[in-house]
Amino acid sequence: MSTEIAELHCETCQRVTDHELHYTGRLLESTRCTECGAHLDVPARDMLPTYLADLEQRVASKPLRLWRRAGQDPRGFLRTLPGAVLRQPRKLAGELRSIFRH
Amino acid sequence: MPSDPAPVRAAVVVLAAGEGRRTGSHTNKVLLPLAGRRVFTWSIRWARLLPEVVRTVLVIRDQDRDVIEATLAREVGPPKVDVVEGGNSRHGSEWAALQLLAPAIEAGEVDVVVIHDAARPLAGSDLWASVIEAAAELGGALPADDHGHLATLDGSELAPDRIVAVQTPQAFAAAPLLEAYRHADTEDFVGTDTASCIERYTDVPVHCVPGDAGNIKITFPDDLFIAERLLAKARWDLSGGREGGRRR
Repeated sequence: MSTEIAELHCETCQRVTDHELHYTGRLLESTRCTECGAHLDVPARDMLPTYLADLEQRVASKPLRLWRRAGQDPRGFLRTLPGAVLRQPRKLAGELRSIFRH
Repeated sequence: MPSDPAPVRAAVVVLAAGEGRRTGSHTNKVLLPLAGRRVFTWSIRWARLLPEVVRTVLVIRDQDRDVIEATLAREVGPPKVDVVEGGNSRHGSEWAALQLLAPAIEAGEVDVVVIHDAARPLAGSDLWASVIEAAAELGGALPADDHGHLATLDGSELAPDRIVAVQTPQAFAAAPLLEAYRHADTEDFVGTDTASCIERYTDVPVHCVPGDAGNIKITFPDDLFIAERLLAKARWDLSGGREGGRRR
């Protein structure tokens, strides 16, 4: 799970406030206004099918994205590829864990 | 036999500088992740699928420069995007972009300038095409979404039947637009939007084209969830068939 903090308009505070945003994989899982605590999240029953559809798209588009990256910076691509491949199973497991904990 | 008209050449200006409130390390909302890309690169992607688009200018805040340039390198392919620092207002940011484009406009290399808010990632290629086409033909064009169904809160009086929500991208003939902003700079006029400056200093008519209800502006936290779902529903493809369904 990754977290970002950004300014968005809070409907409870009626003004722009800092919000904490939590992501699982590429999907936004929840947001929270840091001032009033107003919280939004995706219902747990919706998160898994949404995640699986997104994962399918990620996998399908991966070869093209790798190809583009290799074309832009071949040496950097080759240098980082082994580490990136090795990180995938752990990354995926972390995403699934986050969804089932949600 | 009449020859085909010359192709329109458009410069796209994407405003990503925000409203100037941001301090510290908080993420500019246009830099937030959205379905595998950053918010601001989605609209650049759809615009640049059009053959008419010959230049792209991204207006930023200086504090975002490193992240923006890294994101452009990762998510946006060639040709190069020109990055320029914005002003203290939307008008100032537009003026900064127009100053950068001025030599190309004066040389007749750009016919139309399209101004877009980077917080609207779901402006698809068809919408970009319709404003560029209308501006090339008529002078100015902006997308408007009809809200004629709205009622007043107390129910005492019916709302006018033509309430519209104005969106971006908004396109204008390049030379009059540059001239209007030069006049505005001389007189220290700060317009609320591009059309207000055009209307004040030129007689270029600004026409409405049909907006897109899905072309939402990321303002509230809910908008990020909605944008994510709308993209998924469109199979992450707002190219109007121009990209063959491929995802970059």
